[in-house]
Amino acid sequence: MKLLLIEDEKDLANSMLSYLTTNDFVCEWVATTQAAIDKISNYDYDCILLDLMLPDGDGFSVLEQLKKQNKTEGVIIISAKETLETRIEGFQLGADDFMTKPFHLSELLVRIQALIRRKNFNGNNLVVFNEIEIDTLSKAIKVKKKHVAVTKKEIDLLLYLIGNLNKVLSKSAIAEHLSGDMADMLDNHDFVYAHIKNLKNKLKDAGCNDYIKTVYGLGYKWQND
Amino acid sequence: MTKNLLYKTSKAYVLFSVLLLLVSAPLFYYSTKKLYIDETDDTLILHKNEFVKFTIPTLKANEIANWNKYNRNSKITAFKNIKTDTLFYKSYHDILDNEIEPYRELNATITIENKPYTYMGRISLVETEDLMKSIAILFLSIISLLLLGLFVITKRLSVQLWKPFYKTLAQIEQFEIDKSNLPQFPATTIAEFKRLNASLEKLIVKNTSIYRSQREFIENAAHELQTPLAVFQVKIDSFVQTATFTENQYQELSSINEAIGRMTRLNKNLLLLSKLENDNYSQKQTITIQEVIHKNIDFFTEQAAAKNITIQLHLTENPIVQSNPVLVEIMISNLFLNAIKHNKVGGIIEVNTSHAALFFSNSGQSKALITDKLFNRFSKSNPSDHGNGLGLAIIQKIATTNNWTVSYTFEDQLHQFKVQF
Repeated sequence: MKLLLIEDEKDLANSMLSYLTTNDFVCEWVATTQAAIDKISNYDYDCILLDLMLPDGDGFSVLEQLKKQNKTEGVIIISAKETLETRIEGFQLGADDFMTKPFHLSELLVRIQALIRRKNFNGNNLVVFNEIEIDTLSKAIKVKKKHVAVTKKEIDLLLYLIGNLNKVLSKSAIAEHLSGDMADMLDNHDFVYAHIKNLKNKLKDAGCNDYIKTVYGLGYKWQND
Repeated sequence: MTKNLLYKTSKAYVLFSVLLLLVSAPLFYYSTKKLYIDETDDTLILHKNEFVKFTIPTLKANEIANWNKYNRNSKITAFKNIKTDTLFYKSYHDILDNEIEPYRELNATITIENKPYTYMGRISLVETEDLMKSIAILFLSIISLLLLGLFVITKRLSVQLWKPFYKTLAQIEQFEIDKSNLPQFPATTIAEFKRLNASLEKLIVKNTSIYRSQREFIENAAHELQTPLAVFQVKIDSFVQTATFTENQYQELSSINEAIGRMTRLNKNLLLLSKLENDNYSQKQTITIQEVIHKNIDFFTEQAAAKNITIQLHLTENPIVQSNPVLVEIMISNLFLNAIKHNKVGGIIEVNTSHAALFFSNSGQSKALITDKLFNRFSKSNPSDHGNGLGLAIIQKIATTNNWTVSYTFEDQLHQFKVQF
């Protein structure tokens, strides 16, 4: 998977790159709109991460350029300034998703994966991990070809965990992912434990390997031994 | 006791008028009377002097009876041994009117043919009394009319004069510092009001600009913090991937992570408040409150379950409001999370609706919260809790943005927040 990161904050870009590269992404990084436009004119990407405030102008010009060139890349806007207007403008100019800084890298990763799944819609809405099969459209799970009854939230959690394969995930990152829009108001993350426990039990009952490892003191990890 | 300005000035006028009338009426009556009596006395003395000068030299003692016969108001009587002229009041029975009528009388000693007699001259006071009454009534009427006229004119004038003041007052009452419309003061030709308007305008402009720059400062500060916070968050996210740490180290990292999370939430909530103040959510649509509650109830039930709290929905009525859907959702979420956060383990949350109100009641601490600063930013009932103290401020702000009211009561060991739509 090829990915273009347009971000002028070097420290942020470095960490994003290193996190994403270990998850089968080939990443390129530019810091200006001009460099970004050069890149998109010459190459195709699966996903573009776009910061709106760049030293040589705002990121919307990149979206306009993509539109002009009839490019269909998925674009996730990553902005520190989030207003309804910028959101609407972004979506109207063809952005697919909008993330506000600060964010968790794990969240970014699953958003990219979800976007790519949506973009390659005609082919594949199945996420397969060893004996587990997740249909992201019909929201159903099969373990060893057998249907497992899980809640929507548990599927969401499973996709998030699998998406962040071999990454240590803090409890608060998981909680924020699960609570969605409510995350900004929520300061108790104890409910994560219950969800993890339930999912773990359901997978175990279905004869699935135990991939969920507890990282004592911090959170959890989906690990492929 | 507060009464309006006109009432107070009018009261002073009325009091003064009544007092003046009360004092001036008798004073006027007696002074007029005295003047008249003096005049009468002078006349009596004059008559006597004329009598002494012109009549006595020709009058004989045997003519006295005859003289008395033709003079009704002057008599010569036997000597009564009076040394000097005396003036006094005396009443006579008037045969014509068959009434007792007052007279002013002069008694003086005169000598006719070397024998002393007493001269009596009198003037009826009946006409005097009538005249005096007429004068008094006339005078008092003029005074009354004058005062009444003054009073009415003052009142009219006051209303007219104070008009710009009341207009200014109405403008200021309408004014809200967090709204963009500045008051427009009416033009006036009265120097004091001109000054008042000018100073108010100056005050308002200055305060609004201070308020704006503070608001912008909060907004900018919050925005500027987003990027370093993002770097912070991302660095810690990637740092935990770099090696396997001990449990203690993970706990330390977790604490850092929690702190960034709190900071992030605080910042986002501050931004939300700024946006509310900037009217960024002015687009309204029809929203049914029940729908919003049902939409997220699973999430709240799950959150409540972590503390073994039961949520009871008694949505008997279904209020429908005109508002921004995002705001209604944020408000209801905050009400729920607030009721969960400040609840005790195993407690309850009751959600009730009435025709135009929403009630959230929850168990919790056994005494009422202190209400005066409850809805202020960063006011916390328990300083050590992990909340950022913005939840209720946000609820309040959303309510005021929509012209709703939020109130708090504590009854039957339940803390109740009511949103009146």
